[in-house]
Amino acid sequence: MEDEARLAVEQALKSGAAYVEARAQRDVGHTLTLNNGVAEPVTTTRRLGIGIRVIVDGSMGFASTNSLESSQIRTSAETAVRIAKAAARLISTPSKLAPEKSWEDEWEVRMKIDIRQVSIQEKFNELLSIEKALSFEQVNVSLPSRILVLDDELTEKFYLNSEGSKISGIVPRISLFFILTGEEKGKGSIQRIRHEAQTRGWEAVKEWNAPAIAAGEARILGRMLRDGIQPPRGEIDLVLGSEVTGIICHESCGHPQEADRILGREGAQAGESYVKREMIGKRIGSEHVTIIDDPTLPNSYGFYKYDDEGVKAGPRTLIKDGIISDLLHNRETAAEFGVSSNAAARSVAYDREPIIRMANTFMKPGDHTLDELVEDIKSGVYMKSFMEWNIDDRRYNQRYVGLEAYTIENGKIGTPVRNPILEVTTPGLYGSVDAVGKEMEYSGATCGKGDPQQGAPVWTGGPPIRIHKIHLGG
Amino acid sequence: MNRILSACKKLGVVSVAVGFTRSRDQMVRFSNNSITVVNSWQNEVPTVYLASNGKRAACRIEEQEGVEFESIARELVDSMKVIPRGDVDFDLPKGPFIYQEIEGIYDKRLTEIDTGLIDAAEVAINSARKEGAERVSGVVISGSWEHFVLTSAGAEGSNRGTEIEITVRAFANEDATGQGISIATNLDRFHPAEAGVSAGSIARKARGAKAGISGKYNVVFGPAIFADLVDRVADSASAYTVDLGLSFFQNTLGKRVASEKFSLNDNGRLPNGPGSISLDDEGFPTGEIHLIAKGILENYLHTSYTAAKHNAQPTGSAQFEGGLAGMVPAPRNLIVEPGEHQFGDLLDGAGSGLYITNNWYTRFQNYQTGDFSTICRDGVFEIRDGKLGNPVKGLRVSDNMIRILQSIEALSKERQWIRWWEVPTPTLTPYVLVRDVGITTASK
Repeated sequence: MEDEARLAVEQALKSGAAYVEARAQRDVGHTLTLNNGVAEPVTTTRRLGIGIRVIVDGSMGFASTNSLESSQIRTSAETAVRIAKAAARLISTPSKLAPEKSWEDEWEVRMKIDIRQVSIQEKFNELLSIEKALSFEQVNVSLPSRILVLDDELTEKFYLNSEGSKISGIVPRISLFFILTGEEKGKGSIQRIRHEAQTRGWEAVKEWNAPAIAAGEARILGRMLRDGIQPPRGEIDLVLGSEVTGIICHESCGHPQEADRILGREGAQAGESYVKREMIGKRIGSEHVTIIDDPTLPNSYGFYKYDDEGVKAGPRTLIKDGIISDLLHNRETAAEFGVSSNAAARSVAYDREPIIRMANTFMKPGDHTLDELVEDIKSGVYMKSFMEWNIDDRRYNQRYVGLEAYTIENGKIGTPVRNPILEVTTPGLYGSVDAVGKEMEYSGATCGKGDPQQGAPVWTGGPPIRIHKIHLGG
Repeated sequence: MNRILSACKKLGVVSVAVGFTRSRDQMVRFSNNSITVVNSWQNEVPTVYLASNGKRAACRIEEQEGVEFESIARELVDSMKVIPRGDVDFDLPKGPFIYQEIEGIYDKRLTEIDTGLIDAAEVAINSARKEGAERVSGVVISGSWEHFVLTSAGAEGSNRGTEIEITVRAFANEDATGQGISIATNLDRFHPAEAGVSAGSIARKARGAKAGISGKYNVVFGPAIFADLVDRVADSASAYTVDLGLSFFQNTLGKRVASEKFSLNDNGRLPNGPGSISLDDEGFPTGEIHLIAKGILENYLHTSYTAAKHNAQPTGSAQFEGGLAGMVPAPRNLIVEPGEHQFGDLLDGAGSGLYITNNWYTRFQNYQTGDFSTICRDGVFEIRDGKLGNPVKGLRVSDNMIRILQSIEALSKERQWIRWWEVPTPTLTPYVLVRDVGITTASK
């Protein structure tokens, strides 16, 4: 892929580009699905192509092709330059990139068990063993719908830019996704989505013990259906489980602190942000709230060593002790803010421009056990997991509807409750966190952003947290 | 394509559908009245879908260098050998078929438009600013495509088309926003200035919005938000979604699912239709499918596989998607039948309530029951005494999809085509009045 990338960079420079980067990328992935025990098609995706991004006269152009013939690469490079030049007349803020160190590196996430060596049969056997664990006899609940999906993908990238960076990387990703519908006569139905995902080889699947996870989830559905009562409404103390903490960190901290949103670049699609430049250094939450985004967490679904602008990755502290701290930057927004990039530029395929993305976003753990979080609550709710959620496009007004949830009575977790609704503003939520747990968990997720859409692999996570005096009920 | 087909047949595969798409697309993105990036894509992508003895496999081959189709075919066939047997045997639709040309879906000018998209962006920005927008963001996309399908059942055909669309979002101040859209298959029907005017005008009127209040409201849904809801309705009318247990239309075929005033069709061969194509990815001719007729769920969308499972006929809705299912039944152009009313009549009918122009982030608590919420986006206005009143903000529709469908009271004569980032299927829809819609707000 190096020859093709080099040709693209040389051709674009020859055509007048001031800056060029070329990324050749190959992805090979498989998806296996069992739907109520019946195999859906085994699907394979094979992608190989090159994306070329240029800056000319302060204007940014991107062109891609899945032909690696020299003539086509030259044409694509020339196209990127030509369309960028043409757009220059309608540009009020010229694109420029923050200066960054150039790197030459080859990196790879090594697999203990190479996913390419695992047969389709073995992969299906994993799904069949989950299916077997979900029988009524095993889980004591009727599951009329069971969708089990196993995905693997191996990505090879070769990145080259006109400033001297030359980086190749190999990344395997594996994920297990399931949707279960539990049903109980006279009690209706409940649906649960769970996503385990890592940047690893097949050894991740071996360690998950997915049949036990799925059976555990099914039993919880049964309990919620049989015993669930209406949740209390009004002002209460609320304990949120790791899964809910994780989605909150992603939606109402990670997204609004993407610098491209703050600058308005996603205004017509994913939206802008309630966070403004002048809010950096201002309080948004209680002193218990510290939220980090870290692409370098070992085995994490959002793992990478260099971003897709060739910048070396490291952790970013988005909120520190309740104060807005780092934004997520690529080189373009970093130049605009007068800082360095923190390597948040990601692209999911050869034909997508790199844009600012989260990697693995989580709340920093505190020192409470779950028992300690609930022991002082006289009357409250513990919302361990969620199903429905959404947030406005400025990332201010959000909603999470609990799935596995319980009353808290006199300092103890009590009766299951159905569909408790937390609908709250971002400062209202972060400002009410009064204790943070110490047990960390992460969930796999696919984050949507960009136009065309780019579904980026991420982790969301954190410990259980306690929210003091919050309105529950919607 | 012939190479792939014969390689698969040699390996003993009973049913094979090979697709090939050649496409060229361009996109101009802008924000703050300024272009941020111009994209250009050029792709050639074959797809393969195989079925034998109830087992299925699929592959999307988005690469050209050194691809050995025979070895890909062998890998797919080997994978089919080891997967559990499927639940139904089926055949691909038996051809040959005659595919009739669809009027108005190809405009040669759009294959040569090149940097003309930049002019369209400028026109939209200027027209939105004239209406009162301070800042304008958006995207202009154009593309041309050729699509070929060849199957082992004797179907063989091709089609070509062009498209152009613009989404404009105007900001009159930070939270006073409006959206305008124009989508077309030919240049004469493309109106970037009107999209800009619409976005700018909604944004201007949304200035000074006060926080809304939770409750039940009579709501007039604008075309953009109603198109999003209709897209979810069509998803639920896909037999694939029904089989997954992710549809609120399970066991409701032939039953009342909506108000008698509501009818919804999917028409894959609509003249000038942005999603029109003469054949589906199994080689079956596309056509018009009545999904909901006067409130009764009449049909699910089918591929040959789901049709065999449901003892029904294919509907020309097969689309190769890869991923979970390979080939799925999916809509092409969703058409909501118009009503008899003017927009003002709907406001009159609401009496007091809300007019919601747009939304985003629709999520379900339970796909089977249809319990969901979605966030109001852009201008939301009170309706008082049948007239548009003050702008409001911070609202969420929190309701049930079937209840909303059944509470449709009136539809406008006027309709608009909607497709944008949040609504993937081209949808032609009127303004719609719905009674007693659940609206919620954040508490703190």
